[in-house]
Amino acid sequence: MENIAIGIGLAVGIAGLGVGIGQGLAANGGLQGMARQPEAGKQINNSMLLALVFLELVFLLTFVLGFLLMGKIH
Amino acid sequence: MDLLQQLNLPLAEAAEKEIGWNIFFYSGLVFAIVLVFATLAKKDLKNRVFTSLPTRLAEHLYLFLEGMTVNVIGPNGKKYVPFLLAIWTFIFTGNIMGLLLQATPTADWSLNIGMAVITVVYVQYEGIKANGLLGHIKHFSGPKLGGFMILVSGLIFVVEIVSECMKLVSLSLRLYGNIEGGHIVRSSLDSIIAGVPIGGLLLPIKFFTCLIQAFVWTILTCTYLSIATSHGHDDEHEGDHGHQPALTEAHA
Repeated sequence: MENIAIGIGLAVGIAGLGVGIGQGLAANGGLQGMARQPEAGKQINNSMLLALVFLELVFLLTFVLGFLLMGKIH
Repeated sequence: MDLLQQLNLPLAEAAEKEIGWNIFFYSGLVFAIVLVFATLAKKDLKNRVFTSLPTRLAEHLYLFLEGMTVNVIGPNGKKYVPFLLAIWTFIFTGNIMGLLLQATPTADWSLNIGMAVITVVYVQYEGIKANGLLGHIKHFSGPKLGGFMILVSGLIFVVEIVSECMKLVSLSLRLYGNIEGGHIVRSSLDSIIAGVPIGGLLLPIKFFTCLIQAFVWTILTCTYLSIATSHGHDDEHEGDHGHQPALTEAHA
């Protein structure tokens, strides 16, 4: 029981850490590109959003896994 | 106090108690809101200058989505805007409902996977319409390879089919996880001090999530459409030359 709870906390925490770093890097690249080339802003913005979305999916998979495991605690 | 506690009822529990009927009611409500909005917006269409607020809102929404579609697919992407607009409006209204009411239709995985099935089937339909049935199937097998490398093409075909099916999971799971995750964080913040809805402080960021998720679903549909309806390599370059930024700026 406690193992599952600790596992959920660890999983969501580590996934959040990694995805946070990854999304920060992606946003960093996108914003720098937009600052250097404002005329390409729209296309860079779209691609950056797509990249952020795919990164976020990793966290969401962990989140849903934790949500499913949470039912086993009770 | 009683009312506050009722409002703060965790949604997961509410969903377990009444299976199914919540989602029919709330998605019906979303349909009603969208229908009323569209009817109000349609009234003013015959005037030369749009003066009523719903028409102007709808116009801005249309231009925003059209700009995005033309940006991703190219000038011939305009015919897909009605479908994208319908999806955007439904998801956004459904998400917003979670900020004001007790339940959200889009926080239910079953509705999301239904919408994902509609989206993926629509993308296949448009792909078949653009390339023909054989061309669409050939599309899955990657670039043309000669000799016994045709085995690799078969492998690519299998992988592409699997990834096509995973689109269903990734589209629906993304929306479900974002909206339901927001609700769970809200209700666990609320339970720190009984009766004080601290989770209300999350409203701005939840509103932002609602907007982004509706946008993300449409931009992903755009990307899938642009992959499915492209005609091999030679035509792709032609499409790049035909892509005129002036066209989008004229509409903005």
